[in-house]
Amino acid sequence: MQFRKVAAFVVAPVIALSALAGCGPDQEGTQPSSSAAANGEFPSEWSEEITIDVFAGLANAMGEQPGWFAKIVKDKFNMKLNIIAPNVAGGGDTLYNTRVAAGDLGDLIVTDKGKKLDELVDGGLLLDVSEYYPAMSNAAKYDEAITRLNEGKDGTYAFPTQVSSLKATDPSEGIDPTFGPFVRWDYYAELGYPEVGTLEDLLPVLKQMQDAHPTAENGKKVYGLSLFKDWDGNMMNNAKQPTTFYGYDEVGMVLAKADGSDYQSIIDDDSQYVRSLKFFYEANQMGLLDPESTTQNYDTLFSKYQNGQVLFSWWPWQGQSAFNTTENMAAGEGFMLAPVEDLKVFSYGAEPFGGKQVLAVGSEAEDPERVAAFIDWLYSPEGTYSNNSQTMGAAGPKGLTWDLNDEGKPELTEFGMKALAGGGADVPAEWGGGTYQDGASWLNTTLVLPIDTDPETGAAFSYKMWETFQEATSNPLYEDWSAKMGDAPTTMDYLRDNDKLMVAPGASFTAPADSSEIETLRNQVKAIIVQESWKMSFASSEAEFDSLLAGMQETVKGLGYDKVLEVDMANAKAQNELREEAAARS
Amino acid sequence: MTVAAPIQPPKPEAVSSAKRRIRRADEGPARPVAGRRRAGFVMFLSILPFLVLVFLFSYFPLYGWIYSLYDYRPARGLSGSEFVGLQWFELLVGSPTQVSQIAQVMTNTLAMSFLGIATSVLPLAFAVFLNEIRSTWFKNIIQTLTTLPNFISWVLVYMIAFSMFSTTGLVNTVLLDSGLITIPMKFLDTDQNIWLTMTLWSIWKGLGWGAIMYLAAIAGIDQSLYESAKVDGAGRFQTMWYITVPQLMPTYFVLLLLSIANLLNNGMEQYYVFQNAFNRNTIQVLDLYVYNVGITGNSLSMATAISMLKSIISVILLLSVNALAKRVRGSSLI
Repeated sequence: MQFRKVAAFVVAPVIALSALAGCGPDQEGTQPSSSAAANGEFPSEWSEEITIDVFAGLANAMGEQPGWFAKIVKDKFNMKLNIIAPNVAGGGDTLYNTRVAAGDLGDLIVTDKGKKLDELVDGGLLLDVSEYYPAMSNAAKYDEAITRLNEGKDGTYAFPTQVSSLKATDPSEGIDPTFGPFVRWDYYAELGYPEVGTLEDLLPVLKQMQDAHPTAENGKKVYGLSLFKDWDGNMMNNAKQPTTFYGYDEVGMVLAKADGSDYQSIIDDDSQYVRSLKFFYEANQMGLLDPESTTQNYDTLFSKYQNGQVLFSWWPWQGQSAFNTTENMAAGEGFMLAPVEDLKVFSYGAEPFGGKQVLAVGSEAEDPERVAAFIDWLYSPEGTYSNNSQTMGAAGPKGLTWDLNDEGKPELTEFGMKALAGGGADVPAEWGGGTYQDGASWLNTTLVLPIDTDPETGAAFSYKMWETFQEATSNPLYEDWSAKMGDAPTTMDYLRDNDKLMVAPGASFTAPADSSEIETLRNQVKAIIVQESWKMSFASSEAEFDSLLAGMQETVKGLGYDKVLEVDMANAKAQNELREEAAARS
Repeated sequence: MTVAAPIQPPKPEAVSSAKRRIRRADEGPARPVAGRRRAGFVMFLSILPFLVLVFLFSYFPLYGWIYSLYDYRPARGLSGSEFVGLQWFELLVGSPTQVSQIAQVMTNTLAMSFLGIATSVLPLAFAVFLNEIRSTWFKNIIQTLTTLPNFISWVLVYMIAFSMFSTTGLVNTVLLDSGLITIPMKFLDTDQNIWLTMTLWSIWKGLGWGAIMYLAAIAGIDQSLYESAKVDGAGRFQTMWYITVPQLMPTYFVLLLLSIANLLNNGMEQYYVFQNAFNRNTIQVLDLYVYNVGITGNSLSMATAISMLKSIISVILLLSVNALAKRVRGSSLI
């Protein structure tokens, strides 16, 4: 008896140990030996229902994908998507690292190309899907991009995003740029369309707007500017946005102008980045900056936009998509691009070889064939319509939100108008139920650009570019804006025609991996920069702002900022060379 | 099987126990020696699991120090990562800014630990006063209510703090509505008094729980002490001061010693949930700094190197306390 007890004591930790050991990565993943894909075709039916883990680098929601998109995936693949979203989990790369260390990132993985992709391939976390590639007939259209992405790798591991048949010097954006100063046009009109020479001139205008409309309809206070911290990386993300109005984009610690004419170190006194921080500081001094900026996340802010609590937005896909509902626009209310005189808005050129993110199948995937079939479907017209219907402007599933009209042109259905341009609608039960917005794809990753043309309809995947839509949605807000902007049909047209757009040719540039030392220095430096940037934005006086700036410069330089900067400068210049090549090629 | 006889003359107790054994030996043949060995083996087996646990959780993790010599990449595994020697240690002491960052972190750690130790008399005082409450139900309610916060996780404590003290929280709303202020006050987004507020939060959370040990000790005090003090005419405060408090002192000092041993282990959950861009400089304690560098900053090897600092300082601390104990008490702790 006693001996048994003792034996149990001894055995217990052994069991615990072996259980722990069982958690280690199992490198020898089992692969189905025979698959239909080997015959060049995926099966049309999947008998067993599975739930796959999707490590979605860009997703802004976590958990099981609900609604109509889930229904389509379920019907086609008998599969549920369990979305794992590092953006929601927060803490930078924490989730990525812990899952990578455990040896299983997910069945379907959306991550960055370059360093992360390479280390995942080396570490055996991704599956070579060469076996299934012949069956991926939709992806085959982008074979050149796929081949180039997998160059130097022993197999086919990754699939590019944001592919299209456009030229590198064409903007990848359709009718709206990615960035731009968007103001509440109705309030701006009330003030008599005051002239705005440059960024800082917006502040007094916003101040007048806020004074005239101190509270929103829901009784909450209205602020000129409202920020959020979720996306902070190399720098305070929100402070980078105004720099894009002047043609800059970040390459590590460098702000590089789209045409290669200027490279700035972000911490310099006269950099565009510090100019943005000063802009925030002044806005705060004028009472324009939402004090909740420091704690809220993107979702909270988005609902503030929906409620009309914020007057300015640097992204059309934020301010406009939240507030410009059919109802609001019919009443003449909404966000429109402000005519800032010295604008030179940065535009991402179409990337023939794909964007920064890539899709891959995890080495531990339960049913890799089905995941590959799913990726292939995302490249198909049907997949493009459905997957990009969240903020990217794709029209959604045919038959629900749109259909061909009598003339054979695509047109939004009544439901589609309500769901996409009317502030949302409830999806019928046979399409999965729930609201349309909630049921949209949580992947938040574009495989085929929605401005590309659907060969079946001859029109773009994006409903916003359809003639039928533009005719149907003419409204007082839009007409008023257009009249003020020299009858420009769209924001992109206005920017292009007035020489206020700067297209960075799509070069599919990937920065080489940092050395271990540089990477560590970079991580320390960027933490300080982000932290001090927030403090500077909310500084109580000009003197405090300056001393925080000086303190930040001293600290990061002490930590080795210059070494990091040197690397980033070289990267920025290499990127520019590629851009020039891409421009010459197209 | 024979056993070598002891060379020295047996001690008296040994003799008597041997006698007892001989008496038992009469009942069964050849039992004593084998039985003793077997008993010893059984004893060994019964401590074995704990030895294994100590090895697993105290010594085995030291193997992790090896990560500080590599440029560890989770995806590649340790064997696929580059060996970099002492690079991270050189980086740590390489620039004055780096050193001053660590100095700041150590200051935060020690400051908050010492504040915690300085306030450790509060649970004692609380227990002494709680003990004086006559009404049992009231005493129980107070004890339950003060113990409860200990079981709330720090995340939830922060939720409470946030809903009360954020710019749109209860306190600011009341102040704004009553017209006392026009701009919301920043209670959380500030580095003012952060050590103090952190200490207050942990007192709020731990007061009742900390008092439990003392309440138990109070229950063990001999009641005749109180009775004779009352006979001698002592009042309530006098019995508290002259009997309860001195009787609790041994317990207090044991707990104090333990908390000094945990000087660097002041946890990170509390500081992790309360940290933001504005207070990070003063709230970042060693554990949190390691987390921020390693997990958030994605430099696991560097974080390992920094965390080794903790072990070194702990050993120094232990040796100095030991030396002190040797001098004061005449015997050492280890």
